Amino acid sequence: MPLSTQSQGDAEQYVLVASLDNARNLSNILKAITFKDHAIFSATPNGLKVTVEDSKCLQANAFIQSEIFQEYTIKEDSVGFQVNLTVLLDCLNIFGGSTAPGVSTALRMCYKGYGYPLTLFLEEGGVVTVCKINTQEPEELVDFEFCSTNVTNKVILQSESLKEAFSELDMTSEVLQITMSPSQPYFRLSTFGNSGNAHYDYPKDSDMMELFKCTKTQTNRYKMSLLKPSTKALALSCKVSVRTDSRGFLSLQYLVRNDDGQICFVEYYCCPDEEVAED
Amino acid sequence: MNCVLEGNAVKAFGKAIHSLSRIGDELCLDPMSKGLALRSVNSAHSAYACFLFSPMFFQKYNLGPEQGSETVQCKLLMKSILPLFRCLATIERSVERCQIQINTPNDRVKIQFFCRHGITKTHDLCFEESEALQAVFASHLCPNVLKAPARVLGEMVMHFPVSQEEITLSITPLRVSLRNYFEGGNDHMKIMYTEMSLHPDEFDYFQIGVESDITFCLKELRGLLSFAESHCLPVSVHFGAAGKPVCFSVEDMILEATVVLSTLIDSESRGPSQPAETLTVAPRTPTRCADVVPESPGETDCRKAAVPAGMELVASSQGSPIADSALLLLLHHLSEPHYQERANSTPASSICSLLFRAKSPESGEGLPVLACCSDEEEAEEEDVMMMRSPTL
Repeated sequence: MPLSTQSQGDAEQYVLVASLDNARNLSNILKAITFKDHAIFSATPNGLKVTVEDSKCLQANAFIQSEIFQEYTIKEDSVGFQVNLTVLLDCLNIFGGSTAPGVSTALRMCYKGYGYPLTLFLEEGGVVTVCKINTQEPEELVDFEFCSTNVTNKVILQSESLKEAFSELDMTSEVLQITMSPSQPYFRLSTFGNSGNAHYDYPKDSDMMELFKCTKTQTNRYKMSLLKPSTKALALSCKVSVRTDSRGFLSLQYLVRNDDGQICFVEYYCCPDEEVAED
Repeated sequence: MNCVLEGNAVKAFGKAIHSLSRIGDELCLDPMSKGLALRSVNSAHSAYACFLFSPMFFQKYNLGPEQGSETVQCKLLMKSILPLFRCLATIERSVERCQIQINTPNDRVKIQFFCRHGITKTHDLCFEESEALQAVFASHLCPNVLKAPARVLGEMVMHFPVSQEEITLSITPLRVSLRNYFEGGNDHMKIMYTEMSLHPDEFDYFQIGVESDITFCLKELRGLLSFAESHCLPVSVHFGAAGKPVCFSVEDMILEATVVLSTLIDSESRGPSQPAETLTVAPRTPTRCADVVPESPGETDCRKAAVPAGMELVASSQGSPIADSALLLLLHHLSEPHYQERANSTPASSICSLLFRAKSPESGEGLPVLACCSDEEEAEEEDVMMMRSPTL
């Protein structure tokens, strides 16, 4: 691989080096969270976390563990920077994003530290492209304070069933209402659009329901415009976990398998639109 | 009304809605004792379609006590109901049962899909009550009748591009032909002419009473042909001379579907080499109606005056002004056919509006009716002659 023949001297200057034989293992998952131009990269020895936020109400995170990378070297405990995600994706697909089998773009992503650009070495078919993307000071991320001890309701569904529902959702509705309850209707998605209301009910014993743990009846509404981007993550995923906590905050966690069958996670946090009286 | 559809019936129901969506923007649900009728009319009132599903089509079919002799229809926006049935492949794959309930007190239609894996999808749609609107076409009075498997007609129309608006169906004792229709003008050199003919033997049934060329809108018919093909049903065509409506229908034991389309009053003469310029052109003035229609009550004049020449009264895909066409119908009765053509008019400007009258006799619509309710068929002739000046 041409990229690995880079001199050792170069490697000394970088605080972060991450390589992938198939850049799609990164670009596909990043597409699941591309609803804003900018993303914040946080790298730790565990792996890479990429975060996109919208108006402090929605946060999406993509996790790519260090094991996914063919090479992953980090010299500090935590490395963070902000880049233009659209530009990054364009670079990752610079060879045209061909999906032909056996043809893939190899990636070596390098970062020297604060003030330096993010350098991408991309290779396909012997042609190497070097991209340098300017980085910015990472913005303060919202801490949604979503912890498992506060979770009141949790379900894990196979994505297939939710994909259909989300593709049919009435987009004239401003909100998506999620009801979770230990009794009927168990798990319900509702919309209130121009032509009328719609409800999608998933019973707790459905074979699409892998896990059902609801302790209390909760109904919360979330802005449809905030949740819409999550359908990209849903499309890539095979399973999704839906959790709400005592404040009505929503956590959607998507299990995504990449081209090589490895598992990555995408997570969406959303705050509720308004307080709905709980039954 | 409360009915339940199972399995394949849901897909057929969805396909009917798809076909109806080609006609108009609104769908009327009319639950009757003989079945559930789905109807749609286009805004120009030149196309009407009705799908009638008999009670046997449903697993369960119950009319509520409020039904009965009342003929109240639920009018829904097509864009509210079509998305529910948009993806027929998904319906086929995952819907096991569909329940439709009409609740008149709260003006809601509840459509529930019971799907695989225990998933239930419930849609509460708002509807408007509307007067029952029904066109009963006296097909037994049509001189010309054709019947062929849907596939045959489908194969005939497939040769015309999707953008082709109107086609002309010609019948002689020796052949039936279809050719594309275009509006006259300088463009006739740039248009691709397509014509295909079938021998009468190709049809399951062939009856010719009068040789004619009828021109109608193809787009509105495609929905029915697609439905018929998916159900492998033969299509019957009833028609007469140009200007009279044409009726396409399919039926089997549990459903019947009808599309009635108006036709151009005086289509171009045969053969593409004679474009529409040869037809007489007369200037349009509002006073024309006063000339032809001597007894015009004062109120009509006022209404007419409010509509300047060249203005369309009703927006429609074909741009046919109702006022004009109603007059044209009268002109057709009274004198030799001649009509008005604007420089930028579409062929549809001379399409007769296919008119209905609401079943309730108090309707103020004074348009003469081509296809009216069956009870009033006898009175029709008189009514047409009496209503010389349509009150709009």
